[in-house]
Amino acid sequence: MRRRDFLKVAGGAAAGVSAPIYLRTAWAQGPIKIGMPAALSGSNAQYGIQARRAAELFARDIKAKGILGRPVEFIYEDTGGDPATAVRKAQKLVEKDGVKFLTGVVLSSEALAVSAKCPEWKVVFMSTINGAGALTAKAFHRYFFRVNTSGPMGARAVSLYLAESPMKRFFALGSDYAWGRDSVGSFTTQITAAKKEVVGTDFPPVGTKDFASYIAKIRQSRADGVYLALPGQDATIYLKQAHQFGLNREVKPIMEILELENMKAVGDAMVGAIGSSRYPFTVDTPKNRDFVKRFHDLHGIYPDMFDGETYEGLEWLAQVIGKAGTDDVEKVIDAWEDSSYEGLEGPFFMRKCDHQAVQPGFAVECVKDPKYPHPIPRILATYPGEKVTPKCRTEEFS
Amino acid sequence: MANLLEQLLNALALAGLLFLVSAGLSLVFGILRVVNFAHGVFYMLGAYLGFTTVALSGWFWPALVVVPPVVGVLGALLESSTLRFIYRRPPIYQLLLTFGLALILEESIRVLYGPTAKGVEPPPLLQGAIDLGGVLYPRYRLFLVVLGCTVGVAVWLFLSRTRAGLVIRAVAQNSEMADCLGADVARVRTLVFGAACALAGLGGVAAAPMTTAYLGMGINVIVDAFVVVVIGGLGSIGGSMAGSLIVGAAQTWGAFYLPETAMVIMYAVMGAILVFRPWGLFGEEE
Amino acid sequence: MIPSRLSALAALVALAVVPWVLARHQLSLLTDLLIAGLFAMSLDLIMGYTGMVSFGHAAYFGLGAYASALVLLHFAQPVPVALLAGALLAGAVAVPVGWFSTRATGIYFAMLTLAFAQFLYTVAYKWRDLTGGSDGIAGVPKTPLFWGGPSLASSRAFYFLVAACVVLSLFVCRAVVRSPFGRALQAIRENERRFTSLGRDPRPFKLVVFVIAAVFAGLAGALFAPFRGFASPEVMFWVFSGQGLMMVIMGGIGTLVGPVLGAMLFILIQEVLSSYTEHWMIFTGVVFVLIVIFLPGGLVGTARRLGARG
Repeated sequence: MRRRDFLKVAGGAAAGVSAPIYLRTAWAQGPIKIGMPAALSGSNAQYGIQARRAAELFARDIKAKGILGRPVEFIYEDTGGDPATAVRKAQKLVEKDGVKFLTGVVLSSEALAVSAKCPEWKVVFMSTINGAGALTAKAFHRYFFRVNTSGPMGARAVSLYLAESPMKRFFALGSDYAWGRDSVGSFTTQITAAKKEVVGTDFPPVGTKDFASYIAKIRQSRADGVYLALPGQDATIYLKQAHQFGLNREVKPIMEILELENMKAVGDAMVGAIGSSRYPFTVDTPKNRDFVKRFHDLHGIYPDMFDGETYEGLEWLAQVIGKAGTDDVEKVIDAWEDSSYEGLEGPFFMRKCDHQAVQPGFAVECVKDPKYPHPIPRILATYPGEKVTPKCRTEEFS
Repeated sequence: MANLLEQLLNALALAGLLFLVSAGLSLVFGILRVVNFAHGVFYMLGAYLGFTTVALSGWFWPALVVVPPVVGVLGALLESSTLRFIYRRPPIYQLLLTFGLALILEESIRVLYGPTAKGVEPPPLLQGAIDLGGVLYPRYRLFLVVLGCTVGVAVWLFLSRTRAGLVIRAVAQNSEMADCLGADVARVRTLVFGAACALAGLGGVAAAPMTTAYLGMGINVIVDAFVVVVIGGLGSIGGSMAGSLIVGAAQTWGAFYLPETAMVIMYAVMGAILVFRPWGLFGEEE
Repeated sequence: MIPSRLSALAALVALAVVPWVLARHQLSLLTDLLIAGLFAMSLDLIMGYTGMVSFGHAAYFGLGAYASALVLLHFAQPVPVALLAGALLAGAVAVPVGWFSTRATGIYFAMLTLAFAQFLYTVAYKWRDLTGGSDGIAGVPKTPLFWGGPSLASSRAFYFLVAACVVLSLFVCRAVVRSPFGRALQAIRENERRFTSLGRDPRPFKLVVFVIAAVFAGLAGALFAPFRGFASPEVMFWVFSGQGLMMVIMGGIGTLVGPVLGAMLFILIQEVLSSYTEHWMIFTGVVFVLIVIFLPGGLVGTARRLGARG
């Protein structure tokens, strides 16, 4: 896979042609272009790669009919996870390639910087990854749409599950940046409202490689569970080390996002961890079963959270452009507002007031299943969209 | 009391790991006068090769023996094909050359292994935790303490008690003089660079069970290692040991007692030491 | 001397006409390149002319960016006020940092500047109420040149502002390095012991040039914030400082104009390669290695050598 990419690129560079992947058939009009300024290198590359994997599958699925009878063209740009580069790449996509739809942006900082420019550029920013509550609250504008479950929604799903559980005391560990701190804040509010106790919080820096000091504190707190809002690699390291300290048996790990990426890297030591999932690939709907199969056929692996969320976003976007009958940005926005879509894991609804997609929330547990080469998420509880989506343009719940 | 013991062990385990990485960095600076930015990537390479060896053989111990020489040979090859030509230039050029090498190696590892982190299990003997008077402590971390001390003593004995060590120290003090006295300076440099990379590789293998092998672990560790080496004084093995202990303690105790300072405490300690001792604790004025 | 004056004139004319030649996205890219060029040029003042390798120069770029972003967002002042605020804040912070850092030399100086830069980065990262933390400050507006004056909102207008700032800064920096003060700096670079043995203290000279360099880096950052519309901690991170060193080496250390070109080349290489492959870092790394080994004078140094020979 990597090697083939590399050869394709080397060949393209040698022939002096541009990288975009054209799907050439006899089309009447030019292609509908979707720009993906994604982090494909650097420490968050796995998320950008997920978005691209989903786009590759979507491009294949829609190849025959196109959108409005026009071909679909994806243009990928690597931001390296740096907001300045993300804005530069997005601007290039808009000004040079004439892209009207941007998606695949990975980090919240990148998303906030790019999103702020979209009203000026008059292009749609479709988030399928970004969790920052502010994007649909304080920083909201007409050109921004969030198809994915946001950070506060994930925290909500997990809190609803924990409210029913016998666990009483929690420690909250969030990475020291916006997402980690916001998640811990959201979790604390809701757990307190459920008459349970947060007995300690800590914010290790992003990129912490030794969690021993935090593990000691968590053990001393005598909590029943530890709520973790740590990004991919940090979560992997924490779970490994907590396992070596024998902590996972005493204090149950509760993940803000429980992703396959961690399960593959941590392995059996992660079994028993619970958390929320924005898209668990084990959801049992006919549409999802079919998607998982197609995805596995193409990529040889099972879809992770952002594979599913990005695919849904693209499919919904195509549906909305079809409904608008044009790719004119203003008309697409009008068509998208208050529209419905049948997603992989259930019904989606795009609220007009803040462009947050209302969708089901999940609490899942990491389990072993001999059918799969790595642990998988098993669904513990499903919550309807109304229960897990915050009030309009806020990060609060009623 | 149990808490204090745990804090002490946490600091020592991290220090052991940091020493394995920073010893080579310090050696290369002391003898080649090169600030090797690629050093962290050799550490990362060690971790990934460790993963491969464990996956192929099903054992951890062979990785500890096989991987460091492989990393060392690769380092020696790179030194003799690139760095060798620019020793006469100001130090910034060597730093940037190794920066280029680091980019190439880091990205090559990503092409080969993909973005997902690779978990490595400790050997059965070192799995799980043991009870040390009320503290449940992972055996593997105790092993890191022992490994760091052993390597430290071995390097020190080699440099101070063997003939080869004498030649190396001669080159470090005055390479032109050593050249006149018949030492093959170019060869000494290549061997030292290779040996330093092998140490980094050993550090990587040792780190893998604790942190997994992941992309970015090289960059993550190189900044810590620079701080260690600068605190201790460039080129001093004893200094690296002291620096490792100071940084290990600052990071683990800082995270425990002053959690809000975790991001910056290491730099604060370095800054404070350099303001009073601008050449590090054991360094000599340039 | 005549050819260099001619080429300078040609460059000025080129800068003046390109907005009518380049496509819109190319003009945006050029604006970006010029801002990075100004940053690299400011680093060359201390690195190329005084021999002080700073590993924390991005901090001053970042201070400039944050000051400018806050002034534009909260006080809605014209852009030049924001530029002034950015340059002044960077310069003011550089005074204490320079005072401590110039106690050390060589790699220890580099590490001290790194330590201070990481401290400033942490402040920007943690002071969420003021700086927005890791998310940064987005939505920074491009206010007019002065109230009732010409708008800077169009990409062409902002380009001219940036180009003017870069050209002016280049002239000021040239004047600095050619002054008696600049010659003293170069004497320190060549042989600090000799300078000291002549009974002169190099530290005040080093401190002053460190502050001047920070002011220009701050100006570059202050241009960046309204141009890109945001400021975030990444622009203060040590990685960006390291990239600055690379830009200077690629363009030609100690030439002022070289680092500007080096910055452009540095970003262009990544921009082009990263459109083709996410593994662009391999190729970038190879280019760095080749340049360091084979073009020790960078672009400008090599061109001059070839010019002198031919």
